[in-house]
Amino acid sequence: MKYLCLVYTEEAKLAVLSDQEFEQLDADSLAYDNEMREAGHFVVAHALQSVDSATTLRVRKNKLSATDGPFAETKEQLCGFVLIAAKDLNEAIRVASKIPSARVGSVEVRPVRELAEHEPWDKRG
Amino acid sequence: MSEAGDTISQRVEEIYRTESRRVLATLIRLLGDFDLAEEALQNAFAAAVAAWPRDGVPQNPRAWLVSAGRFKAVDTLRRRARFNAVERELANSLENTAVDEAALPELEDDRLRLIFVCCHPALPPDAQIALTLREVCGLRTEEIARAFLTTAPTVAQRIVRAKSKIRDAKIPYEVPVLAELHERLEIVLHVIYLIFNEGYSASSGEGLTRSDLTLEAIRLARLLAALLPQPDSEATGLLALMLLQQSRQAARTSADGELVLLWCGRRWLRGTSARIPCRPRLRRFMPKRQTARRRIGARLRGSTIC
Repeated sequence: MKYLCLVYTEEAKLAVLSDQEFEQLDADSLAYDNEMREAGHFVVAHALQSVDSATTLRVRKNKLSATDGPFAETKEQLCGFVLIAAKDLNEAIRVASKIPSARVGSVEVRPVRELAEHEPWDKRG
Repeated sequence: MSEAGDTISQRVEEIYRTESRRVLATLIRLLGDFDLAEEALQNAFAAAVAAWPRDGVPQNPRAWLVSAGRFKAVDTLRRRARFNAVERELANSLENTAVDEAALPELEDDRLRLIFVCCHPALPPDAQIALTLREVCGLRTEEIARAFLTTAPTVAQRIVRAKSKIRDAKIPYEVPVLAELHERLEIVLHVIYLIFNEGYSASSGEGLTRSDLTLEAIRLARLLAALLPQPDSEATGLLALMLLQQSRQAARTSADGELVLLWCGRRWLRGTSARIPCRPRLRRFMPKRQTARRRIGARLRGSTIC
């Protein structure tokens, strides 16, 4: 089973990190990517540019509207993601809890819905 | 129906009362799906009502019911119109794994596993408690609603959402590994104590107390205490507290079922608390060094009623 770990942080908090702290966080993140890869949990991971660079799309009645900024104005923003493979939620939590950014922000663990295998969630059970 | 048939249906009823939650816990482990397990349980008892008058009550009814439930679930999975690859795989693997009837004592732990599933931190606290009371203790939704001072549909909704999350996020059916056990313990102890409280002062039913629930809570606390690699002061403290309370169970009500207040009657009844520890034994349950809230609770209650 795949789980997407969404990493949220307050960008204001990241901005006040010293260069050295920021580099350390990057280095730790890359090191943990390798650790997950060796353990067979790693699928893909990326950090994201600041929310200033975000565009939110909506298609309504076949018309596209593109607006500036993230989907919702919240205190914490999505700053990266890690897609992992784990046998169940407990294993996913074990792997995700060691994501270095969890120390400065939070990590939301979401099971991936496999479109080929499952039916739409709102029609099940 | 013949007299023998009547006796058998009474026996089935009695087995339903004492064994159905245990059978359900094992079926949930085997099937990995609460609703499928619930349906399999009902089908297994329906099969028992049909077969037992003819063949007699099997020596180990629980093993029989687990086995029948499993076969019924395979039937259900095969019959389903929306029969997808996942369900086909599950049906095949269920058919090929035999339930080892000799390993039945191990099935005891299934209820404990079920509690850890129901009390998973990924579920909201009110859902954890509602789900445990429903699935582990077999309380009806209305009874749970009364305990939460809310309506039955609200509780039902909470339970449905929790079950979907267990299935969709794939919360495993297991007692957590050692490293996580202590963090997870607090919620489980809380819920075991709630089960005990429901039995200590039942919110519904004819009697003031329900000793099936209080004894079940004590059994689960013992099992938990036995599973822990080193004594946990909260777990042993809770066990001590419940044992102490249970020791007064028979003395709390009069012959006609009315509540007897602590200062009005005898505090204990002789011969009714054979399994209840005396104070030195209680002390053994209480580790010395750590401070534990429940241990203090047991001490306080001990000093009030001893």
